[in-house]
Amino acid sequence: MATNDAPERPAGDTAGASVGPGRLSRRTFVKAFGAALLAAAGGVGLVRSRGYVKPPGATLLALSASEYAIVSAIASRIAATDGVDMPSAEEVGVARWVDGYVAAMDGPLRRDLLRLLQYVEQLAPTAVGYASRFTRLSAADQDAVLAGMEASRIPLLRGAFGALKGCIYLGYYRDSRTWKGLGYDGPLLGRTP
Amino acid sequence: MTLFEEGRNRTGPATLSVDAVVVGLGAGGSMALRQLARAGVSVLGLEAGGRHTPAQFNQREDEMLPLLFQDGGGRMTADLAIRVLQGRGVGGSTLHNTNLCKRTPSAILEQWALDYGVSGASAADLERSYAAVEADLSITEIPEDAINGNNRLLQRGVSALGWRGGVLRHNRVGCRRSGFCELGCAYDAKQNAAKILVPQAMEAGGRVFSDARVDRILHDGSRATGVAGTFVDDAGNATFPFEIRAKIVVLGGSATGSAALALASNVPDPYDRCGRGLRLHPGSVAAGIFEQPVDAHRGIPQSYECTEYLEFGRGAEKRVWILTAFAHPIGTASMLPGFGAKHMTRMRKYRHLAVFSAMVHDETEGRVIAGEGGRPLLQYAMTEADRRQLAIGLRACGRLLLAAGATEVTFPAIDAPTVTTDAALNALSMDFIRPHTLAMSAVHPMGSMALGDDPKRSVVASTGEHHQLKGLFVADGSLFPTSLGVPPQWSIYAFSHHLSPHMIDAIKR
Repeated sequence: MATNDAPERPAGDTAGASVGPGRLSRRTFVKAFGAALLAAAGGVGLVRSRGYVKPPGATLLALSASEYAIVSAIASRIAATDGVDMPSAEEVGVARWVDGYVAAMDGPLRRDLLRLLQYVEQLAPTAVGYASRFTRLSAADQDAVLAGMEASRIPLLRGAFGALKGCIYLGYYRDSRTWKGLGYDGPLLGRTP
Repeated sequence: MTLFEEGRNRTGPATLSVDAVVVGLGAGGSMALRQLARAGVSVLGLEAGGRHTPAQFNQREDEMLPLLFQDGGGRMTADLAIRVLQGRGVGGSTLHNTNLCKRTPSAILEQWALDYGVSGASAADLERSYAAVEADLSITEIPEDAINGNNRLLQRGVSALGWRGGVLRHNRVGCRRSGFCELGCAYDAKQNAAKILVPQAMEAGGRVFSDARVDRILHDGSRATGVAGTFVDDAGNATFPFEIRAKIVVLGGSATGSAALALASNVPDPYDRCGRGLRLHPGSVAAGIFEQPVDAHRGIPQSYECTEYLEFGRGAEKRVWILTAFAHPIGTASMLPGFGAKHMTRMRKYRHLAVFSAMVHDETEGRVIAGEGGRPLLQYAMTEADRRQLAIGLRACGRLLLAAGATEVTFPAIDAPTVTTDAALNALSMDFIRPHTLAMSAVHPMGSMALGDDPKRSVVASTGEHHQLKGLFVADGSLFPTSLGVPPQWSIYAFSHHLSPHMIDAIKR
């Protein structure tokens, strides 16, 4: 029986082999992100870090203005609607909710998520051929960037996309205005099950 | 003296001396706490999470996931391939599980004795403990009239194909059949650790601190002497330190938390066994669309099982357990493939979805390591053999859905294939069934501090006591040398009950 770090199967016997290239640890992945982001900061980051508008309303709890803008842009595409009967991510306030969710995360998780946001903004567009940062792309181009992540050849990027998607849908489908279109009648408390 | 103290309300540090301290109050820890209290020893239970009451369980996913689950429900394996759902709070995963109760099959126990050197844990040896838990938690079969739409379809599929299946047993009394079990029971129908065992422990004189995060096990290299940690506030921030001196330390912080704590505490591990052998029961789902509404989110979840592809013991060739799965909108959205408008169109079929799950009785041996700040990091790279089992299981789920009348079947994968006939399902390449391509989840972490009498192959002896560090016991799912192939909660309760006399003996030594 093989273990994660000590596959003992002879060549040709795949019964105990690990599936896919999932051997890159999260730590390595995060370090790679970090290195890539440092490079980005040294090269283009300084000229690409301006122009984010401070969000209206209450003070942000965990996100910076730029991170808030990135989350807003991602949410508008992941939770894009297919009809007028569903509210938009902006109407639901997904980015504001994610801000609170991130504020409640412990340090390492929060750090990883914020790095992922910077990856989407700064590097993911280049992976599918765009020179601009994510928040400045058209909706169709943003969809192409996200689809590129979802189907990336790098397994960890696919996993990271799944985590990001889960976070956005948590912020979107929490709102009772989204339930009617699904036929979901919500919590039963106070009613007879 | 207050028997239950919420650490979030502390106004200063704490230093205590007791006979026994229990770290983590899920199924195993709560049982140990009660058994020790009933034996008349002074015992303190520590739980990093909060104390939750049914009045807090408001049936909203966005509020209950952060409240009841580790990492806000976002815990993943280190490679981000598998979502791992684990409970947090007094009661642990028994707060949010669906109450499934099955005993560890005797073939598994025999395998442990023969292959892993586990003694004194045959089905006969454990009978008294299983029976005690059965009575404690009022474990009974789900009544026929309580099988909901989703499970009724699984039953129909099993019947149509002539496969093995049956109604499951749960620990619930006074169930209102609302369908919100995974978000905590607002009606207090779960006969779980928080409702039954912790109050019984306190009746017997046991004490509990919630919001008390243990950071390290205190020891002198040969004997455990207590634990140290910090109280945390509502936001999880450290407030005041505590130090508990004890004759024995009992770990009940789950197969991920207990091993990470032992590793972070530099507990002796000369054979490098601690943290190894992690099993998850990884799984995924097939979703079928039906012409009539299924309303799978209503009624008791997971009341029926299909065991056609499940065998136990050494050399078992069928290792997939099939049962229903269903979630409320957020959970469903996370599992359905894609994003954007197309995803939303799929979501509109919510009421017409039936979802069956294939859970692998896994052979893959993952590993828990202590990450930053002692938090558990889960390394788990699924073997090809287990991947094949998952493929077999998901194809079987598809057949069951079609046999039950689904008009189409799909899977939570990128570019998910959709099939409408058995022929198309049989012709389907299952190459998409692999980590990072297929959405996968796990709710049953096991192993990582396995039982056994050989110190070179196990972490704790068959008594539950650590091989090298006397006075350190394990009483949670970490104990199991292999995966069970059945839901582990009854076995975790039972093993903790079974091992508790050894804990009491150690205090008297």
